Amino acid sequence: MTALLDIAHLTLDYATGHGVFRALEDVSLSVAPGEVLGLVGESGSGKTSLAMAVMGHLAGNARLAGGSVRLGGAELTALGPAAMRAIRGKRIGMVFQNPATSLNPTLTLGRQITEVLERHRGLSPRAAWREAVSWLERVELRHAEALMRRYPHEVSGGEKQRVVIATAFAPHPDIVLFDEPTTALDVITGARILDLFHRLRAETGVAGLYISHDLGLVARVAERVAVMRGGWVVETGPATRIFTNPAHDYTRRLVDAVPRPHRRLVQDEPPPHEVLRAEALGVRYGRQRLFRKRAEGGGIASVSFDIREGEILGVVGESGSGKSTIARALTGLVRAGGVIRLDGMPVTRMRRDYRRAVQIVFQHPASSLNPRQRVRDILARPLRLYGGSLDEIPTLLRQVNLPPEYASRWPHQLSGGEKQRVAIARAFAARPRLVICDEITASLDVSVQASTIELLLELRRRHGTAYLFITHDLNLIRQIAHRLIVMRDGTLVDRLEIQALGSGNEHEYTRELIAASPPPVGEETRT
Amino acid sequence: MSLAWLLRRLLLMAYTMLVVSVLVFAITQVLPADAAVTLLGQNATPAALAALRQKLGLSDPVWLQFWHWFWALLHGNLGTSMRTGLPVGPTMFTALSRSLLIAACSILLMLVVAVPLGVLAALRRGRALDLFAGLVSYLGISLPEFVTATFVLVVLADHLGWLPATGYVPITKHFVDGVRHLIAPVLTVSLVLIAHVARMMRSETIDVLASDYVRAAELKGLARRTVLLRHVLRNALLPVVTVVALDVGYLLGGIIVVEEIFAIPGIGRELLIAIQNRDLPSIQAGALIMAGTYAVANLLADIAYALLDPRLRYD
Repeated sequence: MTALLDIAHLTLDYATGHGVFRALEDVSLSVAPGEVLGLVGESGSGKTSLAMAVMGHLAGNARLAGGSVRLGGAELTALGPAAMRAIRGKRIGMVFQNPATSLNPTLTLGRQITEVLERHRGLSPRAAWREAVSWLERVELRHAEALMRRYPHEVSGGEKQRVVIATAFAPHPDIVLFDEPTTALDVITGARILDLFHRLRAETGVAGLYISHDLGLVARVAERVAVMRGGWVVETGPATRIFTNPAHDYTRRLVDAVPRPHRRLVQDEPPPHEVLRAEALGVRYGRQRLFRKRAEGGGIASVSFDIREGEILGVVGESGSGKSTIARALTGLVRAGGVIRLDGMPVTRMRRDYRRAVQIVFQHPASSLNPRQRVRDILARPLRLYGGSLDEIPTLLRQVNLPPEYASRWPHQLSGGEKQRVAIARAFAARPRLVICDEITASLDVSVQASTIELLLELRRRHGTAYLFITHDLNLIRQIAHRLIVMRDGTLVDRLEIQALGSGNEHEYTRELIAASPPPVGEETRT
Repeated sequence: MSLAWLLRRLLLMAYTMLVVSVLVFAITQVLPADAAVTLLGQNATPAALAALRQKLGLSDPVWLQFWHWFWALLHGNLGTSMRTGLPVGPTMFTALSRSLLIAACSILLMLVVAVPLGVLAALRRGRALDLFAGLVSYLGISLPEFVTATFVLVVLADHLGWLPATGYVPITKHFVDGVRHLIAPVLTVSLVLIAHVARMMRSETIDVLASDYVRAAELKGLARRTVLLRHVLRNALLPVVTVVALDVGYLLGGIIVVEEIFAIPGIGRELLIAIQNRDLPSIQAGALIMAGTYAVANLLADIAYALLDPRLRYD
């Protein structure tokens, strides 16, 4: 097998204020023609640095300390900037993580494809236009001619990503680098992008390097998988083997952390006593303007549900479906119509006992902790408000598996997972009956996500707390939730027991969501 | 940008001007100036003063005076100068045209110099050119116009003798001489603008260079020049457009000083003379015209912004 892309003993350093940081250490990988290699790693593992090294697009403080990158036998690391520009985009295409930011907001979609065709295939503007239209059609975009004249903000995220994919494939590259191409997209949109990826691969025979933090996803799209950690390649092998029989300890931990819908983490049934009930909850976002009122998306209409003592209620749906608006309405962050009942009593104003009973943990711990407060002060606020004692701080920290010494730390001295633990401790300081978890694991690495979930379940066992768990990760929610509500365009379309999933009584949209998040490869062989 | 938006914007501008005219009139009422005294001199008899006040309508209630003034204003009549006895409108608008010429040349020079300077400084961050541009910018921002004006005069007019020191020659009358008279004031005014906009352009360019879409453009293998001109420049220019509109406000103030130093009969100088002579109609007209210029500049900036940024659709 002659390799198309051959990375050998690549070592990369960054010069930082604190000395030299080694981002890649003796990395050797190869991709055969037509093959897709998956590259898996958590944040900081060096997977993006590797992609940028292949593209010859490194930061000013980066230095290649050794090794080589060969494309079709030709050494790339020795090429000058101009020669490298002739390779980028032409022989190595790239699809980026976030289509919303990787397209220029002030240029039409058409221009952003034709500029590549003009440069790399030497087409005239008119020929480039025709070719671009046919590529937009190939990536299954309707009204291609009209789309050419549109601007990025006028189309959806999925459409943007299709344009980016068309741009990557249009110059007939030998290999395409995919940098987390579905991470920023909804479950269903992401699944359709993956279908497109499979189809284009079959049609064009282009090789691929598929970078992701999601081992379950990579195992489905790639033939071989390389696992990276701390700049090293820990393990390389066939995708199914890596997933079913990992050789390395770290890989095993990664595999174990992948949510498996059929492995329930919660066995008990909550008592029938109801904690909170929302009746016909409604929120309309709008902005009073001088001349007219403008309605904005993300609102909810007539949403009703209840949560029992100690129950985990999952809320799923695409972004903009109103999931987070439910959280904001329940916590009084937005004014909502309808009735909220706590223990059967209607909550007319957000009184202190209600606020105490219903706490929230936000998605981004980095921005939900005050950077100018130490952990101690962050935890002291709810304790003072709700009559706790400051002596409880060490206990609170121990409860979330943090050493009590962390009380004197600042948020920036903590990792992402540790910050989220502090946010959880803050919620539990008020001894709540219900904690709203708004996508709290979405910004965390897989292994950190698994331990955070474990922590939440442990706290629930100890305190009997109910959770309203908002997420887009269906595999995860199927492991922990008792019941599920499904949101779409601000309305509740489905409400069902978790056991009822797969029974055929689900709403059509729920089925679609489930189909878009298949269980990980090897799920059937491992029980 | 729709026609409805434009109409609404114009309506809003008319409303702004109405408020401004009320304010201008109110302020001139509070000024310790008696038009009758101004006209007849300190030694006039009380009877003569009273007669004149009656004739000028100064003994009418304030709202009626405002109404007379405003009604004339609507008919394009800005009043008669108490100093010269000539209609205020033509005098002021001639003066305005001279000031606008200097302002337009300054903005043009600023765009030609500051935009490339800011972009280059961003590209060569931390190197000699960047440091030099930074130094010039800080000097330009921190020095008041009368200092830079004096400096320009001493070097270009006095020391080198390349330019006439002061005065104004209409370019319609004698083009070369007219231009020679414009150079020193334009240099003075534009230095501050260049300093301000170059800093802004630099920081915007640095932000845009770090954006995902510029990285994407690089990774698409586009030529460096294409990346800079097509992807960086336009996006970096966007916020600068707004700043330029705000700078017009500075221009209106700064130009008074500059016109005084270079003895240019522009709107600033006319206004100054009017104030010194307590020539109320001229003061009112001058202030109104300046406010109007500012409003128009802001409208133009909004339109330019809408043309540059497709995300903004006024509707």
